Amino acid sequence: MTESPASKPASNGEVCPHARNGLKPERNGFLKSLQQQSRHRDRDRDEEEQAFLATFQQSRSNIPPGFLPSGSGRLPARSPGLAEVHAALHHGGLYNRPFLESFEETPMLVAVLTYMGYGILTVFGYLRDFLRHWKIERCHIAREKEEQKDFVPLYQDFENFYTRNLYMRIRDNWNRPICSVPGAKMDLVDRVSHDYNWTFEYTGRTVKAVINLGSYNYLGFAENTGRCADAAAEVSMVYGVGVASTRQEIGNLDIHEEMENLLARFLGVESAMAFGMGFATNSMNIPALTGKGCLILSDELNHASLVLGARLSGSTIRVFKHNNMQSLEKLLREAIVHGQPRTHRPWKKILIMVEGIYSMEGSIVRLPEVIALKRRYRAYLYLDEAHSIGALGRRGRGVVDHFGLDPRDVDVMMGTFTKSFGAAGGYIAGKRELIDYLRCHSHSAVYATSMSPPVVEQIITSMKCIMGEDGTTIGSDRIRQLAQNTAYFRRRLREMGFIIYGNDDSPVVPMMLYMPAKIGAFGREMLSRNIGVVVVGFPATPIIESRARFCVSAAHSRELLDQALSAISEVGDLLQLKYSRHRIQPSGARPFDDGVYEDVDD
Amino acid sequence: MASGQQWVLVEMVQAFYEAPAYHLILEGILILWIIRLLFSKTYKLHETYKLTEREKEDLIEEWQPDLLVPLISKDHPSLKYNIVSGPPSHKIIVNGKECINFASFNFLGLLDSERVKEKALMSLKKYGVGTCGPRGFYGTFDVHLELENRLAKFMKTEEAIIYSYGFATMASAIPAYSKRGDMIFVDEAACFSIQKGLQASRSFIKYFKHNDMEDLERLLKEQEVEDQKNPRKARVTRKFIVVEGMYINTADICPLPELVKFTNNKFQIL
Repeated sequence: MTESPASKPASNGEVCPHARNGLKPERNGFLKSLQQQSRHRDRDRDEEEQAFLATFQQSRSNIPPGFLPSGSGRLPARSPGLAEVHAALHHGGLYNRPFLESFEETPMLVAVLTYMGYGILTVFGYLRDFLRHWKIERCHIAREKEEQKDFVPLYQDFENFYTRNLYMRIRDNWNRPICSVPGAKMDLVDRVSHDYNWTFEYTGRTVKAVINLGSYNYLGFAENTGRCADAAAEVSMVYGVGVASTRQEIGNLDIHEEMENLLARFLGVESAMAFGMGFATNSMNIPALTGKGCLILSDELNHASLVLGARLSGSTIRVFKHNNMQSLEKLLREAIVHGQPRTHRPWKKILIMVEGIYSMEGSIVRLPEVIALKRRYRAYLYLDEAHSIGALGRRGRGVVDHFGLDPRDVDVMMGTFTKSFGAAGGYIAGKRELIDYLRCHSHSAVYATSMSPPVVEQIITSMKCIMGEDGTTIGSDRIRQLAQNTAYFRRRLREMGFIIYGNDDSPVVPMMLYMPAKIGAFGREMLSRNIGVVVVGFPATPIIESRARFCVSAAHSRELLDQALSAISEVGDLLQLKYSRHRIQPSGARPFDDGVYEDVDD
Repeated sequence: MASGQQWVLVEMVQAFYEAPAYHLILEGILILWIIRLLFSKTYKLHETYKLTEREKEDLIEEWQPDLLVPLISKDHPSLKYNIVSGPPSHKIIVNGKECINFASFNFLGLLDSERVKEKALMSLKKYGVGTCGPRGFYGTFDVHLELENRLAKFMKTEEAIIYSYGFATMASAIPAYSKRGDMIFVDEAACFSIQKGLQASRSFIKYFKHNDMEDLERLLKEQEVEDQKNPRKARVTRKFIVVEGMYINTADICPLPELVKFTNNKFQIL
C-alpha cells in the first residue's frame, strides 16, 4: 500500500528522501508504468501488467544511512506521484535494495549561459580561421606536404572546426603523462606550452604525489608491490613477456586455461574466454553472435565499442532511451509483432545490449527489470560489465551480484580486466556452447595474439584475492572500503551543493560543469591544488552537459578523500559550480553502516 | 424573426430565378458530386490493418528465436587448443611433448632475451602491470611517449602512435582517414585486420591482383577516366592504396619501389 508522505513521520527516514533529487517520473519509464498501475488499480489489468505485478511485493524499508532527509530541506513542489515514486523505489520483489538514481535538471540560467559561451567561442573560432586563412596568424595545424599539395586534403576544414578552436584551448587537461603507478597518488610529468597548447615541452620536472581521482583503479590493484606484482614478476621471468602467436595456433599457454577456469568460477557461469583488449572484445565478438536478420536493441548511451561491434555485425540496430524499461518493452513488442522491416519475416534473434555501469552518467542498469523483460519476450541479453565487475556487489562479482540475481540469466557476460583487476584485456563468459562457438569462430582467437603472461598472472592473483582464495581478507576489505568511500564521497558532494549524476552505489561520480570555460578552469585549478581529475566535454557528452568525472577507489583513504573534497569545494566556490537547488543539510557524522549489504541472501 | 427570415427567403428565390441557366446547372452538378463523395467508401492504397491486443499477444507467444549460437560438434578442429606449458621460445612444450618451434612469430628471437626481461621487470616494479585508464585520462606514461619517439626515429618519420592491440591498429587506422565515399585500392591478399578496417570505413573498395602492378595500373587508369567525367566529385574523393610489407597470407613482399615510382606521388599509400 502506498502511503502519503505527509502521514509518515520523518524521523526514521522511511519517507522517500530522494524527493529532492529531481527524479522525474517521466524520465524513467518504469516509474511511469507503475504510476499508471496505481491509477488503474481497480480496473481490469492488461496481461503484460500482470506479469510485472506478479512480482510486486510489500516494500521493504531499508535505506542506508547517509541518505536521511532533513526536516528543513527545501522540498520542491512535487507531482502527485510522490507516493508512487516511494513505492517504486522499494518494491522488494524485483529489487532487494533501494535503487536511487538522480539526474537533476539543468538550471535554465546555466543552460542559457552555456549556449552563449559556445556561441561566443564559435564566433571567435570563425574570426581565427579567417585570420589564419589570410596568413595574419600563424597556422599550426597539420597540413599536407609541399609535394602533396594537389592531393585532396585528409581533413576537411569544417570537420575540424571544433578541434582547432575549442578543444585546442583546453587541451592541456587531457593526455597528461604520468611516471609512476596510477594508484591513489601519482606523479605527473610536468609539461608547459608556449604556444597555447599547440605543442608541449617537458620541463624535466615531475609533480609529485598528485591525488588521483581519474584512473579506473576501483579496488586499488594498480600497485607495484605486494602479491600481485611479485607473482607477475615471477611469471615474466619464467614465461617471458610475450607469446607471439594466436590462441588457435601455439599461443595458448597453460596459464591462459587456468585463468579462464578461475574466471568462470568467479562469475558463477559455465565457462569463459579472455581476449587481449577490452574494446576489441566487443567489436570482434558481437559480429560473431549476430548477423543479418537479427535485431540489436542497444541503450542510448552505450560505449563506442558496443556501437562499433553492432555496426560491424550487419544487424538492424534500434536504440532505446537510457535505462528506460518502458521504451525497451515498446521496442521489443513492436519488433516481435511486426518482424523485420518491409518483409515482415520474423527476426532470427533479438539481442539486448546494456552496460553494468555507464561511465559517463554513473548510472547502473536496471538489471532485474531487463531480465524480466528478456524472459518474457525471449530475447538474449548482452551485459557489458566493463566498469562494474569488481566494483559492485557484496562479493565484488559485478552488477549481477549487486542485485542478487542468478548469473545464468544473463546470456553473454562481457567485461574488462583493465579497471578493477589492474591488468589489461577483456573477457566473455556464459554457457559452454557459447564459449565453444567463440573459441572456433571469434576473430580474436584466430587472428590476434594472445594475452601476455605477466598480465594473465596479475589477473589470476587479483581475482584470487577478491575471491578470498589466497587466504587473506584483502579482497573483501577492499570491496567494503570502496563501498564506504563511494557513499561518503557522494554524500559529501551532494551536501556541498554540486549536481551529481547517477546511482548512489556507483563509484563513478560525474559532477556537472556545463560551461565550456569551466571545463578548462576546473581541470587546471584542481591540478594546481595537486589533485588530478578527468574532465569531459563534447563529443563524449551532450554539448551543454560537460562534466568532471571522479572515480572513487578503494585505495583512497578517508583523509585523502577529505583533502580532495575540501579542494573541490574551494574550486567550486571559486568557479561557482554549486548549481544544485536541492541542498541536503549535512547529517551528523554518521558512520557507514555495514548493514548495507547484509540483507542479500547468500 | 420570422418576417426577417421570410424576407431573406424571398430575396433568395428571386436570385434563383434571375441566375443564368449555366450557373445553376454547374452548381447543381457540384452539389451532386459533393453528395457522392460524402457517401462513397474510403479508398485505401492497400490493406492496412491494426492488430488487436489479443493477436499481438499471440504473435509474441508464438515467436521462437534461433539459438544464440549454433551448436558446435565436439570434434570441431579448432575447439581443442594446444596447451603450451613453459616459455614459448625455440624449444616449446606442446601438450606435454617437447618440440622445435616453427610456429611462433618470434623472428628475431627476442622472446628469450634476458635484457628484455630485465627491463620489463624493472618497469613492472616501477609502474605495476596495468595502466588503469585510456590514453586521454592519466593512462599515458612517460614510457609510452619515449617508445613513440623511438619508433618515429627508427622508421624515419616525424611522429608515431602506438596501439595496445595489434589487430586493432589497422582496423582503426583505415577508418580514421578514409570515410564514406572515398576510394581504396587494396591488394587481394590483404590480411584480416585490413579487411575489417575496410569494412568499418565504408569506402569504395577495389581489389587488384596480388602483387600485380599492371592490374593496379589498369585500375588507376580507369579511375582517372572516371575522374575526368566528374571533376567536382573527384576533387573531394580521397584515394588510398593499401599494401602490406610482408603478406601473412601468401608470405611474399610487396614491390614497394615500383609502387612508389609509378603512382608518382599522386596517391597516398597506406
